[in-house]
Amino acid sequence: MVATLLHFVPAQMWLITPEFILRLLAEGLLIGLIYSLMALGLTLIFSVLGIVSFSHGEFYMIGGYVVYLFLQKFQNSLPRALTGIGALLAAMLVTFAIGVVFERLFLQPMARGEVDRPNEYAILTTFGLAFFLQYLMLGLMGPFPKKARRFFDLPVFDAGLIQATKASLKIGNITLGAGRLIAGLIALLALLAMLYFMFKTWTGRALQATSQDRQAAAVVGINPMNMNTLAFGLGAMLAGLAGAVLVSVYSWVPWVGVIASSKSFVIIVLGGMGSIPGSLLGGLIIGVVESLGTGLFPDPVRAQAYRDVFGLVIFALVLLVKPTGLFGRKL
Amino acid sequence: MKRWWLLLLTVAVLAVALAACRGGGAAPETVVVTQGVQVEKESGPCAPQSFDELGEDGVIKIGVPVPLSAPGSVAGGRAMMTAVQIAADQVNAKGGILGKYPVKPIFYDTSGLPERGTAAMEYLITQECVVAVAGEYHSAAGMAEKEVAHKYGIPAIFAETWNDDITAVQYPEVFRIAPASSMVAKGDAQFFKDMGVSWVAIVTENTDYGIPASESTQKRLAELGIESEIYKADIGTQEFAALVSRIAQDITQYEGRKAVLVLITGETSYNFEQQAVEGGLEPSEDLIFVANQVAANAKDFWQNVPDGNYMVFRWVGGGSPFAMAQREEAKGFIEAYKDAWNDPYRFPERYAFEAYDAFMLVVKAIEKAQSLKAEDIIAALESFDSPENGVALAQGVYYFPYGSHNPVPDDQPAWMWHQWPEPKVFFLQYWKVDQHLEEACVIWPADQQTCGTDYLVPGTEPATE
Repeated sequence: MVATLLHFVPAQMWLITPEFILRLLAEGLLIGLIYSLMALGLTLIFSVLGIVSFSHGEFYMIGGYVVYLFLQKFQNSLPRALTGIGALLAAMLVTFAIGVVFERLFLQPMARGEVDRPNEYAILTTFGLAFFLQYLMLGLMGPFPKKARRFFDLPVFDAGLIQATKASLKIGNITLGAGRLIAGLIALLALLAMLYFMFKTWTGRALQATSQDRQAAAVVGINPMNMNTLAFGLGAMLAGLAGAVLVSVYSWVPWVGVIASSKSFVIIVLGGMGSIPGSLLGGLIIGVVESLGTGLFPDPVRAQAYRDVFGLVIFALVLLVKPTGLFGRKL
Repeated sequence: MKRWWLLLLTVAVLAVALAACRGGGAAPETVVVTQGVQVEKESGPCAPQSFDELGEDGVIKIGVPVPLSAPGSVAGGRAMMTAVQIAADQVNAKGGILGKYPVKPIFYDTSGLPERGTAAMEYLITQECVVAVAGEYHSAAGMAEKEVAHKYGIPAIFAETWNDDITAVQYPEVFRIAPASSMVAKGDAQFFKDMGVSWVAIVTENTDYGIPASESTQKRLAELGIESEIYKADIGTQEFAALVSRIAQDITQYEGRKAVLVLITGETSYNFEQQAVEGGLEPSEDLIFVANQVAANAKDFWQNVPDGNYMVFRWVGGGSPFAMAQREEAKGFIEAYKDAWNDPYRFPERYAFEAYDAFMLVVKAIEKAQSLKAEDIIAALESFDSPENGVALAQGVYYFPYGSHNPVPDDQPAWMWHQWPEPKVFFLQYWKVDQHLEEACVIWPADQQTCGTDYLVPGTEPATE
């Protein structure tokens, strides 16, 4: 085994500098924040409604397209930063609205006990929504990749250790893309706001109470049906927001949500199904592990191709040690 | 305690598995087939064998497999589809094949996947009764498609599949007007040599196109004394930040001018290119950044790679875009293509030229054969065996010097079988944001330069336009 591990010592070991590792860590954390945002939405839906939404990736996709269209429409009529904020709000509003309408029309019958096989029904309806949204956007936007411009360019400056161009920020030898940096910061703010909402407001606590015991929640005056709607709407909105911040980083196509969605499933299982801290930590772990794995895997030819594998290895190892996930309740 | 043992065992198994994945170490597995199973053929080709067998409408169908959904290059597939439709419309405007038989392209979405390629060919040949096939963008799909064409004996002209093996297997039915990867690798390596590059990061896709193309390029570069490293990524990948960091780190080992060569096709290439610039791999005097060929689609390129100014991109074809624009045979197509996209600046991409020409070549072969029999169409295609006997279409004069009458000699590579030998490699460079293709400079080869200079160092402009 030692010989096998030695086989992996890279030829250019000296290239692995602390700065390089810091850069990989920073990139992993930035993308991990967005993974966490996506996964938090899915966790919210699962914990309150008890279903896994297979349309989560499509809300992510819709969020990106709303930002793209908003910026296209208003980029010349409003100040740039204002357009960016408006675009984010529009993406959140649209995805929240779609989520609420869908939950009211298709998932409430299940919650009211009017559906014979609720689990299968939930899978089919959310899958149906995913296909509908994907093909709807294919028809509306076409198959060609779109990308929104950055919400704002970084101010160009050179302050010795810290330098910036409009596209990137350089701290020492650590270069971070402007689009990714802005996306990560917005995701961080959104996560903090969500945590405040969930733990410090009455509605947030009501959502948590519903997720723990629906009947007990109803006894103290919480309407579980309304909580279902709110949870699905918020979950969709968080996915939409994740797409909204990334549409200036990735090229956007109608099937862009497929990868994001599958990654969210991995994260919520890793963190523990239904656990808010678990989805936050799970997202960061997956982001960092993928980044470090790609950057440090000894064989450069395969490093990027194995990117998803690095996360899945950690996922498998965690489940082996703790089958309920990092913060999951005991089964 | 038992769980920790399991954990340790898993780590050990993973380490061994990863070691096994490293190239070169493992011996090829020997498979012994001990029993044969006879499978009855359920259906076969149903193409009409003569003009009398055509239906009442007299329509001749030609199959066109193209990627129209992910993970294939949708942009490439759509461009090819548009080009083929223009070709069909032009033929039909003159009454059809031989002036009386309308032609109908039957498109099939392959998604760039081998299994979809096989399904496409099976469907086109056995259900749609096509007399020939022309198209395909991805080698991965093309490699599977050629097997079906061979199985049914239906002629297939591959428009944009570069894998050497497409023609190297020397199937009688398979022709190619796209360049072979080895032809392009030679041009790429010479370009880097002429630009004084000492090290190249080859970022390639993990497909039947990307793997052999990158290996072929690496081999050619080594022959010219240029070091290189290959970085593979799956087609459809979105996140490249860590890979960009890795390349940025690796690059620090080398002195002098370096280069990044993107062999990832389609939309995925845009993701890499923009993230590379944002991650510090922007074009500079010391770093030549060669974007994927889809950069020729200027509108999509600038939308998706807004910081991609001064990127270089490759154009492989009968001539540079500017030379092709002057060809009488191309002018009608170029105008029709711009009209089809409702974009006066959308010059046809080279794969659009190839799709148009591949379809037209089938039409010309049927007209020459005056028959719909596969063997007659193949014979007609083989009769285009020299520039004098060739067919002048949008890209150039098509001919196939090696075939059943003139086998590939030992001093020529096997892939020269049914291969159009004329594609040349050109390198173009954008030097202003939002430039159209027709405003870019041809910077290589030297005798084709349009701005009087080779690589334009970022921040400079050509003295002549």
